[in-house]
Parts: sequence; structure tokens; C-alpha cells
Amino acid sequence: MTTKITTAMFMALVINLGFAKGIGLTQGIMARESENDIWIATILSVLQGAVLMLITVWVIRRRPDMTILEQFDAIVGKWIGKVMALLAFVFFLGAYIAILITFVYHFMDYFLPEFPVWMFVLAAVAIPVYAVFHGLEVTARIAVLGVFSIVALNLLIMVGSLKDVELDRLLPVFETGFWNTVATTRHYDTDWAMATMTAGMILPLVNDTKSWAKGAVGGVLYGGILVLLWPILECGVLSAPQTGHYIVACMQMARSAQVGLFLHRYEMIMIAFFGISLLVQLMLLIFCASLAGSHVMGMKDYRGVVIPVSLILGGSGYFVVLNHNRAMSLLTNNWPVIALPIAIGLPLLGWLLGLMFKKKLAAAA
Amino acid sequence: MYLHNRLSLVRCYDGSRRPFCFVTFIVTYFVMFIVTFFGAFLLHFSLRVGGWFSNGGSNVVDVQELLDHHIFHDLGENVGRVKTILVKNADLVQRDFSVREAAGPACTLFYIDGLSNNMLIDAGVLRPLIIDSVLRDRIAGSTDSGREHRPAGPHQTAERLLINPEVKFADTYQKAIDGLLAGESLLFIDGVDEALLVGTKGWESRSPGETATEVVIRGPRDGFTENIRTNTSLIRRRIKDPMFRLESLQIGTRTKTFVNVVYIEGIAKQELVDEVMTRLESIQVDSVLESGYLEELISDAPWSPFRTVKLTERPDVVAAAILEGRVAILTDSTPFVLVAPTSFWEGLMASDDYYSHFYLGTFSRIIRYIAFIVSLTLSSIYVMLVSFHQEMIPTELALSVAAGRETVPFPVLVEVLGMETAFELMREAGLRMPRPIGQAVSIVGSLIIGQAAVQAGLVSPIMVIVVAVTGISSFAIPSYSTSFTIRLLRFPIIIASGTLGLLGFVGAMFVITVHALSLRSFGEPFLAPMIPFQPSDQKDALVRSPWWMLKSRPWIAKDVTRQGNDQMPKAPKNNGSGKADLAPDEKASDGQSHKSAQGKPGSDHGDSKSSASSGQQKRAQPAGTGEQKDKTRRSRKPKKILGGA
Amino acid sequence: MHKQWTIPFLLILCVFGLSGCTGAVDINDLAMVMAVGLDKGDTPGTVTVTAQIARPSDVVGQTGAPAAGTGEPIWTATATGRSIFEAIRNLGRYSSRRVYWGHNKVIVIGEDLARDEGINDVVDFFSRNHELRMRTWVVVTPDKASQIVATKTGLEVVPGNSIDKLFHFSDLVAEAPKIDLRTMQASYLSDGSEVVLPVVQTRLRGVSTDNPKEFGSTPQVELSGTAYFEKDKLKGTLNPDDTEGLMWFVDPPKTRVVVIPCSSSNPNQTATLEIRHYKFKVVPQYVQGRPAFRIQLNVECNLVELDCPTKQSHQQVMKALEASVEANLKKEISDAIEASKTNKVDFLGLGSRFQDRYPAEWQRIKSNWPELLSTAKVNIDVSAHIRSPVLLSTPTVPDSAGDR
Repeated sequence: MTTKITTAMFMALVINLGFAKGIGLTQGIMARESENDIWIATILSVLQGAVLMLITVWVIRRRPDMTILEQFDAIVGKWIGKVMALLAFVFFLGAYIAILITFVYHFMDYFLPEFPVWMFVLAAVAIPVYAVFHGLEVTARIAVLGVFSIVALNLLIMVGSLKDVELDRLLPVFETGFWNTVATTRHYDTDWAMATMTAGMILPLVNDTKSWAKGAVGGVLYGGILVLLWPILECGVLSAPQTGHYIVACMQMARSAQVGLFLHRYEMIMIAFFGISLLVQLMLLIFCASLAGSHVMGMKDYRGVVIPVSLILGGSGYFVVLNHNRAMSLLTNNWPVIALPIAIGLPLLGWLLGLMFKKKLAAAA
Repeated sequence: MYLHNRLSLVRCYDGSRRPFCFVTFIVTYFVMFIVTFFGAFLLHFSLRVGGWFSNGGSNVVDVQELLDHHIFHDLGENVGRVKTILVKNADLVQRDFSVREAAGPACTLFYIDGLSNNMLIDAGVLRPLIIDSVLRDRIAGSTDSGREHRPAGPHQTAERLLINPEVKFADTYQKAIDGLLAGESLLFIDGVDEALLVGTKGWESRSPGETATEVVIRGPRDGFTENIRTNTSLIRRRIKDPMFRLESLQIGTRTKTFVNVVYIEGIAKQELVDEVMTRLESIQVDSVLESGYLEELISDAPWSPFRTVKLTERPDVVAAAILEGRVAILTDSTPFVLVAPTSFWEGLMASDDYYSHFYLGTFSRIIRYIAFIVSLTLSSIYVMLVSFHQEMIPTELALSVAAGRETVPFPVLVEVLGMETAFELMREAGLRMPRPIGQAVSIVGSLIIGQAAVQAGLVSPIMVIVVAVTGISSFAIPSYSTSFTIRLLRFPIIIASGTLGLLGFVGAMFVITVHALSLRSFGEPFLAPMIPFQPSDQKDALVRSPWWMLKSRPWIAKDVTRQGNDQMPKAPKNNGSGKADLAPDEKASDGQSHKSAQGKPGSDHGDSKSSASSGQQKRAQPAGTGEQKDKTRRSRKPKKILGGA
Repeated sequence: MHKQWTIPFLLILCVFGLSGCTGAVDINDLAMVMAVGLDKGDTPGTVTVTAQIARPSDVVGQTGAPAAGTGEPIWTATATGRSIFEAIRNLGRYSSRRVYWGHNKVIVIGEDLARDEGINDVVDFFSRNHELRMRTWVVVTPDKASQIVATKTGLEVVPGNSIDKLFHFSDLVAEAPKIDLRTMQASYLSDGSEVVLPVVQTRLRGVSTDNPKEFGSTPQVELSGTAYFEKDKLKGTLNPDDTEGLMWFVDPPKTRVVVIPCSSSNPNQTATLEIRHYKFKVVPQYVQGRPAFRIQLNVECNLVELDCPTKQSHQQVMKALEASVEANLKKEISDAIEASKTNKVDFLGLGSRFQDRYPAEWQRIKSNWPELLSTAKVNIDVSAHIRSPVLLSTPTVPDSAGDR
């Protein structure tokens, strides 16, 4: 816990958090609701994410040495703090399951359909746990690699599909109505909520307090730009109904890309890059869930709970992932309802409570 | 659900194949078990052998008592004790004589034949003591004969008579015998309770020749030898800096190997030097026969397949490293020098990069990065594609791969593992064979076996190409230890991708990356400057920028300023007629000569002279942050005068 | 330190140990389908699948390992089932290797199947299957699909490849649109457009090397026209000439050739122009509650062949030709639109173009779209410029030309 990471690394973490689920599953879910407007919904959502991130940074900056959960502890006491930590744990559990769904459906449905599901879940637990034991710094460094791979992935998809883009298809703006589009942003907001909640947990481990806001919001915006390419291409190349037709929209996109006469399919190269970013996300979520878990248990070092926490995450994830329909309906219907109240509520509550008990917060050890 | 069942039925009807796969896996695992048990047995056996050795050495304690004893006054006792300690040593030479034709005290000289230079002993010890002292007496007459009758103390003997630059005194047998065994001559003088150790070291040694492991096209041809002094001299000849430091220590309770730690104070961080010294000093082993012992004993990550210490045979590489603020560890009796800290990428850089044109340097560096990726992943990508993701192969290629594999009886994974093993076998055989035969083996291996195996249908032709390209790529990696690491890591990746397809490949690469990221080499991140990204070091990472751009040393250095500003050469403003214009310019702006383009010498002649003069100045003043800029500015001056003259 | 990573390490080891070769099938154990044909089965409600499977060692030749050497690069297998999937599974009854779809190049749909059963099943099955490329070509044939699949065409060894290559270079003739699975699926799912598929058929064209005197003895697959669908059923076909007009909307060609008779009295002597650059634009309009379209086409072409006996200079000839090019292009476009209007099938995708511009209006009228389309006003505006007579400065005319 003593090692600190730089703002640039933190920015890389944020970019990774918004990407992997954001380009595939989320776009598919959004396309089913607001068709051609998914790219507008993405932009709106990125802006909301930036605002939420700004609030989180503000809240943490009052006590730069404390995570959001420790702030609650300091203000409202240990037991309510534990309830808050439990809420955060539930959030990270859900987020982990959401990313696990992304991971498994990418790898299993498109590449290894004959593998049993538990093997993917095991990989999604064991590999991140291995990294989590090495601490946040290693995770953050891998995240830098993840950003490189995201850029590579974007370049590859651009090379493969730019010539098929019909920008006319982006033209009908707010076809499904403005408010519907705004309502759709809730799906992508859950992805940014992951970023802000993670920020609430790991910002105290970031070196330079002054550059927090720049790094965090910059991360959301850069991540948003990198993600935005996908809804534009998905609308322009695949058309909205086709995007919504698939569970994993971005894979359909990748499958349709073609470079020249020779390289008909290269989605595997893309998924190899994508996998890095995805594993970074899983790592971070296990890390944060362990932090929250250790907070609930009242333990100093998160390492003690990593194994049980990862078993809980992996076990419940396995149960969800088994059934495609259940997984997708959970993601579409239930997850925003659980995630957004926690992710928006916790920092706002922290902010309000901090205003009310300014002295208590400042005095806390 | 019904549909799901049907899906799985079709996808799995390769039932005939799976048991076969299973059998090969059982066999593989069986072999692995055998290897493990055999290894365990060997380990057990060797431990027991070690036990016998320690039981056999029961008289060691007695010798230690003898060694700890103070030197006697009596010559006879001293000689007797030395002979007791070094009993049954046929190469121990004893020479009894007395100083000044028996007028002086009786002396005994010991030395180890072969470790000491007979000429030095003859001219520097025996001749002055036996003959020259007599002559001096005769010339001097009896002016101070009163004093001369007393037995001369060892110090006086050394000062006055021994014509040898290096004389030491030993008060215990421990020191005396240590010196004797290190090649010095041990001189006992009757009635003196101290022994003299005369520096007569001299043994047969290879002269610095071309290195075997690091071959360069452009660059110095000398390599380190087994003699540590030769080695330090090779470095010193390159760095004439008063801040150059060379700390010496002896490691190994029995071998007492000389180990020198070399660095430049002011460039290397003091914490780094302290860390290296602490790690070296805490080593307690009986022997250090090669720097590999030290490498494993001071490594940051002892279990890692990555080596966190760099290994080199080239003095120019060591010189460059310590000029970048690293620390070099020289070990006696081996040409391999350790350099720390190091990063993974350094294993992919060759010293050529810095000597040849920077375009060439960058180009060959990129080629080596490709070689690294290819040698690490090509065969595993092949396995993964051919046994799991056939749709990723372009159709024509897929058909020819399938055609090539038509008669191959093994699954791809077994085929690849077999071929890789065969390749490693040939490499190892070629290495161990006497050199002329080694050539033959590689020809037999590559041409005949490869061709025959394809003809016999044992392996597919594309497999041979894949393995060959992988092998060639691993040869393109300049550092032997990096190349070995990559060769080793290849196998787990192949197994992972052969059993788990893409998932295994991504997972294995990820785990390896996480592991490499968590490594540190003497406190410095192992994958720097890529991750963590160090913008200032990017000029010398993926590309090799020209020297006039490499303003700063790597971030590991304490003092990062390497050169002055604006080192990029420029053409003179006025072509040809520079001389007349230069003179007034020089008078006008003395201190700011770097601003004027005319200050640059127009000819090679001028360049070499000016660099020589800057070298002189370097010697004259200590290095440091403040002086760096000063130095470069001053070093410009002679150039200008030269140009103006 | 190493205690920490023993557990993940052991877990990973377990994965390797327990997985064995799950799902691993070596490439030489796959029967790689290069083209697949779908026909109506003999009994109603069934579908017959004909898979053209490459025999690798014979495709590649004697490069590497000794081949089985039957000399026949293709093995064609056929099976029937109640659904496509079942039919494919039934192939496995006598296929010695696992049928593998990853390298399939072409899906050939028999016309009777498309007309009677519809293509919903085809679109669903082939886009659901992860092995398949989304760039697989889809074609319709009036012949038996199995026949097309088994016919060797052109220089390729594998028939699937030859159809694939046909499409790669079909720009030159522009007589059938290039439609891959992705495009087909997109227009199938969209409200504003209907599926069009190219038509291929066998024709006796090739010259047998064994018997050179018998011209046209070998059947060859050739592109000829377009089939259009209404919802999932085949509605009708357009001949190659009508297809030229459709191509502007569906699959804009890179270049085109326009052949124009010199005069109406002399239709056998022609001038040929190659379209080098063009700008094609469909502007939807919404006038008084009715959709209308303005279609603009600007072409620049080169005169590549001139057969007309003329005394005029190139300049004059080209000037005169421009007008007839315009008329010619206008006619082919309006023919295509007329075909769409009269059949009340929006295979030109005008609906989705309208939707892009007038999304709100589209929501109101989309249920009634085919009717509205048939009455929509379409304004076609073509302008042609002939830029260059290529290499020649004067027309090629024999000396006596002036006397005629």
C-alpha cells in the first residue's frame, strides 16, 4: 500500500475502465434502445462521467490520504462506514460480473465455443489475482500497456472498416427522441461509474494531489474519444439494427473488418489487444473489491481478503455467465438500477456529510 | 436448450481425435514426472555427497588454528609452520638465503611456482637482497656500519632493498598464506615477527582478444580476459576520469576471489553503489569461480527467468554503462563482467548501435525488436492458429498448412514441442562439439534431418519454417542471457496456447508481462523506460538518436547531463573563407562561441584535435553537475582558436 | 515473495492439466468448406446443403508431404435436413473430417428455396455461426445451387475461389452487385431497404482443352443480373441491363463501360466510353406529405473505342456523344427505379436514404412505404463530360470513309 502511482498511470487506469465493456456490450444494449443515436448517447455519457469524476476528485481531495470509505468512517463512525463499504463491495461485485460477462462472451462465443465456462472464469480470476498480489503499481503499469493496446485496437478497426463507413447513417439525430437518448446514457454511465468508484478507492494512492482533477477528467475524456470511434463505426458500417442484433456488437464489427484481399479476418489480433485492457479492468475491480472487503472486515492489509473476495466474485460471476439471457437481462435491466445509485450516491453523500462535519473530517487521524 | 444441445453435438463430433490427444498428454505428463523424480533424486544424492565432504574435512579446524597464529620471530619455526599448513603442495618453492653474504639475517622465500613471475623474484627480491646489499655495503664503506649490524626490520628491508613496487606486511599466517596463494612471494626474515609479501604475481594469461558471445561489426575488438587487472586496465584506458572508483573485495571463503566494483562517483547514485556493496559483502559462500555465482547471489528476483543483471564481455560496454551511472562488478578469473542495474530492453541493444550510423542503429534495433517478438511468440501463434483458430489463417495458407500436415501423425502441439526440442538439441550439440565438428552437426541437423523429417512425413514443411525462423530470431538477440530467457519462456507459452488457444496465449503473455513488470533491478523498474514510461529516455530506447541529441544520461544516473547544448554540427556560414571572418568574431564574443556557427571546425583534423583537448580538460577537473556545462563551453574554445588561426 | 504466486501458479497449472485438448482440432482434421449451396429438399420443408470441400493436398499440389493424390481438388458432399443446421450435421454422417466453415467463400441459394421458403433461415444461421466470415459472398442461382457449387470456373482450382475472384474483379462488368453476408444482413434488418442478391448461373462457355473444336462445351459460372427480395422471399430478378441502373444505388462500381450506337440507323457501329470518375447523389425530399427524390449523377468518361465512320474531329464527336451518354445513363437509372416502383419493392434502399434525412417523417410513413414509393416523384439529373480520347488525336477512319 505504500507504493504510489503517478497521475499518468491513473489516467491510463481510467481509460481502461471505460473501454472494454463500453465498446461492445454497452453499445449493443444502447443500440437496442436508441438505435442510431448511440454515438450521441456515448458523448453525453462521457460528459456525465467527467462530471461525476470531478465530484469524486473533489470529495477525495478534502482528505487526500483517505479513500472515500475511510472518509465515511471518519465522519459517521465505524459501523455506518462498514455499511457504506458493503455497498461499495456490492458495486464492485456487480461491476466485476459485468466485465466477466464481457470477457467470457468475447472469448467463448467467438473463439473457443467448446471450452467449459469455468475455464474462462478461472482465467478471469487467477490471472488478475496474480497481478493484484503484486500491488497497484504493477496494475497501473499494465494499464499503460492497456492504453497502447487500446490505441492499437482502434487503429486496426479503422484500417479494416473505414472504407465501408457510410456517414449518412449517422445523420438522423435524436431519431428516437432526445429524452430517450439521454435515458440510454445510463448504460454507459455504469461503465464510467466503475471509473469513478475506482477513483474513490485508489486516488489516495496517486502521487500528485494537484494534478488529480486533470488526470481523472482527462482520462474520462480521452477514454471517451477512444470509445467514440466504435459507435460511429458501428452505426456507419454495421447499421444500428445490426449492432443491436448481436450480444457483443464490437466483435461483429471486428469480424466484418477486412484488410485487402489477403487478411480476411484478424479479429483475433484485435482481441489479443482487447484482452489486455479487459484483464486490467478485472484486476482493478478485484483490487477495489478487496479494498472494500478488507474495509468491511476491518483489516489493514487488503491482501488477506484477495483470495476469498476473488472466489466470491468469480463464483457469482460464473453463475451469471452460464446463461446468456440471464446475463444480458441483468446487464440491461438490473445493473444500471444498482450501479448508478451507489456510484452517484456515495460521493454525493460523502460530499454533503463532509460539508456538515468539516471539523470532524479534518481532525480524523 | 434443444438448439444448444445440437450445437454442441456438431462441434464435438471429432471424437476420434480426443482420446489421441489425451494419450499424448498422458505421455507428456509421464515424462515430466520422470524428469521431476530424477531431478529430486539427483538433488538428494548431491546433498548426501556434500555431507560426505564436510565429514571428511575434520582437520580443517586445526589448520585454522595454525593460520590464526601470529608470525614467529624464529625463522625455522616459521618455515616449519608454512610447510605444515601447505603440506603436499608440489608447486610450493622454498629458497633459503641470507642477506649480505651471511652477514645479514637468514631469510626464506616461498612462492608458488606458476603463480609468481620468476623474473620478478630474481630481479626484485633475490638479487637486491643477496647481491646488491653487498655491493652497497662495499660502496658505502663503514660510514653507518654501526647501525647495519643490527638485524634490519622488515620495513627497512622493504624500503631500502626490495626493488618491487608492491610490498605488504603480514602479521598472521592467515594473511601470509592468503598472499602466497594469490601469487605473491612470502619472505620470512630471521628474528622478525612479520612476514613480507612481495608483489610478484605473474601467471600465464590470455591476451585481450575478440569476444565469443558479443560480436560487433563496428567497434573495438578487445574483450575481457580472465585476469582482473587486465580487465580493469581495459576500462581505465577508456575512462580517464579522476572520479573513477574501483573498490575491491574478496568473496569466497576458499577461493578468495577478487571482486572489483567499478563506477564513477558523481554519475552513479551513491545509494546504488551502497546497495551493490552491501549485497556483495553479505555473500557467504565458499567459492566464486565465475561471475554467474555472484549474479545469482545478488539478483533481485532469484526465481525469475529474467536476469536482472547484465552480463558482458566487452570493455567498451562496461565503460558505456558506468558512464551512464551504472555499476560494474568484475570478477577475477572470468571474462564476464556484471553490470547493474539493467533493463530488459538492454538485452536487445548491441554496442554497434552506438558506433554505427544512427539510422543503421535504429534500423537494426527495430529488427531486433521484431526478432524478440517472433522468437517469443511465433511458434505459439502457429500452434494456436492451427489447432484452434483456423479461420484466422488466410485460406490459401490454411490449405497449404493442411496439405503439409496431411501425413503428420502428431497433434500440432506435440509436433511443435518436438521440433523446438530438436532445435535446442542441435544448438546444444553444436555448442558442445569441438568447433570443426559443430559445423558439421549443424549442417546435418538443419539440412538433412529437416529435409528428411519432412520427406518422411514426420513434420510439416511449414512447421520447419516456423521453428527455423524462431531459432534464427533468437540468434539475432545480442545478449545471450536475454536470448536464453526468451527461449525458455517460449515453452510455457506454447503449451498454454496449445491447450487453451487464444485464452491460454493471452493469459500466458499477461502473466509474463505482470511478472516482468513487478521486477526491479537494483531498485530500478525492469521494463523502464517503456513501462513506466520515461519520456526523456525515449531517445535511446526504441530508436537510437544521433549522439548530438542524446543530451542526457538515462534516468538511473545521478547526474544526467551528458553533453552541452546545441551539439548538432552545422556548416560554417561563409563557405571556404571562414578564416578571415573568424578572428574578429572570436575577439567579440569570447564566452558565447557556441552561438556562432563558425566556431565549428571545418575539417576532421580540427575535430580530432579539439576532442583531444577537451579530453585533457576532462582529466584536469573533477566531474560534476556544475562543471559539465562549463567544461563543454571551455572545450569549445580551443576549437575556435584553431579555426581562427 | 514466491509463496504469494504459488496459488495462482498452481491454479493455472490445473487449467493446463485438466483441459487437455478441449476443442483443439488440428487443421488437417478439418473438412474446409469453400462454397456451400442451399437447395429446396425433395420433401417439403427440408433443405439440401451441398458443401464443396477442398482436398488440401490436391489443391496445393506436390509441394510438401506426399499427397494422397486423387487428382481431384474438390470433394462435394450433400445432405438433407429439416433445418440448415441439421442438414450440415447430416453431412457428418459420411464426412471423414469435421466440417469447418471458417473458410467458406460463397453461399449459393437456389432460386426455388429463396422463392418458396425464404432466406430468414439463411441469414440467421450464417450470422449466428462464429466460424463464418461476415465477408462471405451470397448469391442466388436459378439453377440448382449444388450444380453451381460443383462447377469449376476460370483459372482457379477450387470453384469457391473462382466465384470469390469473380466478385473481386466484377467491377469491370458491373452486371451483378457484390453482396456479402454483412451487407445482406444490414439491409435485411433495416426497414428502409430490401435485400438484393447477385444472380449467377452456369452457361456453356469454356473451351475444353481436350476437344478444342467443341466450343462452349464446359459449363462456367457467370454473373448475370440481380435478384430482389420482399421481406425474406425472393420477389423477382433483374436482367444484367437493368442491374446496371441498380448498381449505382447498391454497389457503386469503380469504373463502368457505356456503349452507345453511333446513330439510331446504325446500331451495330458503336462508340464505347469508360466512366473514370463520377458523383452519384440521392437527395430525398419531402413535399406535401409525399416523399420525392432528386438523383444527381455527374460522370467523367474517356472515349476508349470509336467505331463510327465519321469525318468529324474528336471534339465534335465527343460533344455529340455526351448527350447520348446522359440519355443512356438516365434511362438505366429510371429503368431500375421503375422496376422498383412497379413491383413495390424498395430494393434500391431509397427508404433508408429517406430515413437518414427525415427521421421523424419516416416514422410516420414507414408502414406505408412501398405504396408511397410507387407514387414518389423521382427527378433524375445526369450530366456527362467526355474528357479525353485517350491516345489518339483523330478518329480512326479508313481513307475511303469520306466516300461512304
